[in-house]
Amino acid sequence: MHISADRLSGAFFLLLGLALYFVVIPAQVETPEGGNLAPQTVPNFISFVLIICSACLIVRPTDHETRGARSFVLGGAYAGVLALCIFVMSRFGFEIVAPFMSLAIMLMIGERRPLWLLGGAILMPLLIWFLVTYPLGRALP
Amino acid sequence: MVDLSIILAGFSDAFSVINLLFVLFGVALGQFVGAVPGIGPIMAMAIAIPFTFALDPLVAISFLVGVNKGGLVGGAVPAILMNTPGTPDAAATALDGYPLAQQGKPLKATKMALFSSITGDTFSDIVLITVSAPLAILALKMGPIEIFALMIFTFSVLAGLIGTSLIKGIMAAALGLLVASIGSDPEHFTPRLMFGYWELFDGLALPSVAIGMLAISEILRRMTEAHGTMRAAITLDMSSDPDDRRVTWAEYWGCRYTMLRGATIGTILGALPGIGSTAAAFMSYAFAKASAKDPDSFGKGNLHGIAATESANSAVVGANLIPLLTLGIPGSVGAALIISAFMIHGMQPGPLLFEQQGRLVYGLFGAMIMANFVNLWVGQLGLRFWVKVVSAPESIIFSSALLLCFVGVSMATNGLFGVAVMLIFAVLGYLMTSFGYSIVIFIIAFFLGPRFEKSLAQSLALTKGDLFLIYESPVALALLIMAVVSFFWFLSRGKNAQG
Repeated sequence: MHISADRLSGAFFLLLGLALYFVVIPAQVETPEGGNLAPQTVPNFISFVLIICSACLIVRPTDHETRGARSFVLGGAYAGVLALCIFVMSRFGFEIVAPFMSLAIMLMIGERRPLWLLGGAILMPLLIWFLVTYPLGRALP
Repeated sequence: MVDLSIILAGFSDAFSVINLLFVLFGVALGQFVGAVPGIGPIMAMAIAIPFTFALDPLVAISFLVGVNKGGLVGGAVPAILMNTPGTPDAAATALDGYPLAQQGKPLKATKMALFSSITGDTFSDIVLITVSAPLAILALKMGPIEIFALMIFTFSVLAGLIGTSLIKGIMAAALGLLVASIGSDPEHFTPRLMFGYWELFDGLALPSVAIGMLAISEILRRMTEAHGTMRAAITLDMSSDPDDRRVTWAEYWGCRYTMLRGATIGTILGALPGIGSTAAAFMSYAFAKASAKDPDSFGKGNLHGIAATESANSAVVGANLIPLLTLGIPGSVGAALIISAFMIHGMQPGPLLFEQQGRLVYGLFGAMIMANFVNLWVGQLGLRFWVKVVSAPESIIFSSALLLCFVGVSMATNGLFGVAVMLIFAVLGYLMTSFGYSIVIFIIAFFLGPRFEKSLAQSLALTKGDLFLIYESPVALALLIMAVVSFFWFLSRGKNAQG
């Protein structure tokens, strides 16, 4: 069965709006006494807007077509690699991880020419390291 | 009114050697990245912002303006040589630029794009310099109630104009405001939506959100479509007729009315929030074609077609700064990035900027004018080089851009927490664009969020909690009526059902 992309995103935002209003905002916003504007007023108003708009979108979706499943899988894979790199970078630092990250991304894109791979994995991280460490005088992650 | 000595001091700052060098660097970088399909000036600005921390505010902002201006010139190169615009603004340029290049005149086409781009840009800069100070004086008369009403009007216009669906535009704005509300509440300073992450107490860092949404999400999208191959571009034939490799004065002068009209359209649309340079380019092209004696020649390599689009899309850059400098409201993502650079350097854009930082503002104006001349010079020298850049492999471009984003955000947020936040917003941006939600509206709402809440709180204080007393301010009332009218106008146009 074909599900409209708008109905899918509308359902997500409807749930998000409801969760915000009933669960998240009461739990995550402190409510002090006094003042002109309570801290939860704006988030509550936003959750209302999300609920109403997402309901409208579900009832009356546009004919927007989203990307194919392959794009989402690939996008997820790239995001996963980047998340892994951030985690490993927090353990071993930029200097160690950057060449491997660059190489992995280039290989995933489909680059197979050794010179370009070498340039991307060695020269570019080296150039960035030099730029940040010397002219800018800042620390790398 | 700003003192003449401040204006002169600002201009003298702009013409310092260090500023000139950074404008030159920014323009060259902008032309370079503009010529690479997939990067573009917006992404380059987003990546470059954290690297400007160490710079003087004027130098940093002049550099970013240089990147933006250079990017618009560079964006025309792949549009003309490959029929693949480097930036969305240049899409209309390809209509006549590519056919002209196919006729063996790629240099003539790129040079016409360069000259008309700089003509349009200079025109809008002059308008900006002329009108922004008087407008800022008017804007200073606005109180919190008027500012609040102005923001409501801005959101309604943005939601209606950007993207294909009004409902989705409103939702994108709501999400931007929601994300802006993360951190301490501005009135009571109590934690809000932080989920125990005390790193979020000051709110989400601008570089993390902006770079995640604008740069990484776009890189993710491009990587899913990339194939690691070189693109075919039209090559330059340096042995061809010299007249086919240059734009003569007669040809340039013959396009003067087209460029003037394009620059006017670009300036007017650029001053309005949300419309953007792509719309200006296509509108100018349509006007040029409609008023031409030989409309059939459009789309077949007519120089007027290139002049119309490039003068219009470049004129938007300067005009975009009119609402930014006078009201503190960014009219585009480029302006939103400039605003973030202002804020990173401890300045709040808006009408007070002329009073408090007049020297800086006029320094910026001087830098913008200088950037136009530098753009012309770098363009003349660099066009042959940018032609080669268009064929650079995406693999090395994207992997390098990712590394720069990681390092830049890490420097801006002092650690990898900000980088992780950046990745979350990259995924959010990827999903939002996939499902047709505008990240432009999201980013602008995120930037305006704290000010929106502050003006709402101040309005409630002034009206003693009764916002219906807003009718006592005619300006606020007029703005709210305009917001409601524009909402229903966009709704009646069926934008919410057209996809």
